[in-house]
Amino acid sequence: MKSGLLHNMAPNAQRAFLVTLVFSAIAVAIYMFGVQPASDSLDKETRRKSELENDQNRMNADLRGAETVKKTLDDMRAQIAPYESAFLEPLLESYAMRAKSILDPLAMGAGLSDMGYTDEPFRALPLTKPMARQLYTRAAVRMTAKGSYQEAVSFLLRLEKDLPLVSLQSIEITARQKPSEQSIDMVLEWPAKGKVTRK
Amino acid sequence: MNGESFHLNLMKSGEVRSSSPVRLRVMMPLLAMLATIGLVIWWGSILAQSMIIGAQIKTIEEDIGAKRNDHAEVIEQQNLVRELKLQVEQLEYYRNGVRAIGEPLAKLAEVTPVRIQLSELSIAPMPPQNLMPPNKKGPPLWGPTTNVETQKLVIAGRATRETPVQALMESLDADEFAKLVTKSRKVNSFKQDTSQTKDGRRLLAFEVEYTMPERRFAK
Repeated sequence: MKSGLLHNMAPNAQRAFLVTLVFSAIAVAIYMFGVQPASDSLDKETRRKSELENDQNRMNADLRGAETVKKTLDDMRAQIAPYESAFLEPLLESYAMRAKSILDPLAMGAGLSDMGYTDEPFRALPLTKPMARQLYTRAAVRMTAKGSYQEAVSFLLRLEKDLPLVSLQSIEITARQKPSEQSIDMVLEWPAKGKVTRK
Repeated sequence: MNGESFHLNLMKSGEVRSSSPVRLRVMMPLLAMLATIGLVIWWGSILAQSMIIGAQIKTIEEDIGAKRNDHAEVIEQQNLVRELKLQVEQLEYYRNGVRAIGEPLAKLAEVTPVRIQLSELSIAPMPPQNLMPPNKKGPPLWGPTTNVETQKLVIAGRATRETPVQALMESLDADEFAKLVTKSRKVNSFKQDTSQTKDGRRLLAFEVEYTMPERRFAK
């Protein structure tokens, strides 16, 4: 029927119709196989460029702030340094042994005698939010000794002066027959690396 | 011929609809050709834009590549700063909870009346830390649920009368003992002791319990 319609047309109308048909087909082909894929590709490239620009801007901003970061890092290292020198680390796998090596000179200087040291359960410190990868704990060591009340206090004063990050957790001074040989029992705390083991 | 005109219509019915002097057989191919040319130009402009963006992407990638190592170093430092800040914060919790009571204990000896003989001074050890979550469900926590610890200071001794004990308690109310004790106190016992002085006087045994200032493991 269509060929009939074409057949009934004048020759120049037939030519015009065919030319229109050909150009239309070319146009559709150009759109489908040229414009559309190129447009999709352009969208992708635009998005990629935008992402890269974001990355580049972030990088540039980070690099501009590099000096500040380095300075902050130095500050933080300086802040943590006093703690690092105060950490109680085990000696021969014993914190009490380390405490003995630190505290004996102070105790003897204060006049205490018969010192003994034992490990006590550690106590966990409150956590920060978010939690640091390296946690710290309160390492505790029990110290027993003999001496007068004044000697015990003298020891504590020396301890507070020389080791300001060592804390007194508990103390018991019990009177004995001789005032110079009172029973002294105290638990001292240090900051230490690690965390309390979860049971 | 009576003067009436005779009009012969030779147009086809399809041709009657168009008032345009330009025939449809001219317009249609022309429009189709123009549309095709337009699409070719559009396609070309997209390809040109694509090429420009491609070149820009290459430049940015080269720039990023050149800065990658320096940037990785900065990122590492930023992470380290964050980690150290958290570590310092937790260590500050510890530092703020440090108890230093050497000085008030030294002053305690000075303010203790001569008629008092102290038999015991103690700060009881802390009970074991509770690391269970509040609802007791799930594994134990990495840290305590509270950041405050309170302990009691017990002072026990003997005195000939109650007046020196009263004087000692009043002395401990002074600000210089604020690091050692709070104003909250409780007399646990005050009773006749079995021991006597050299001159035969009976002694009174007493035990006073003070609430100590809180140890606050916080900022």
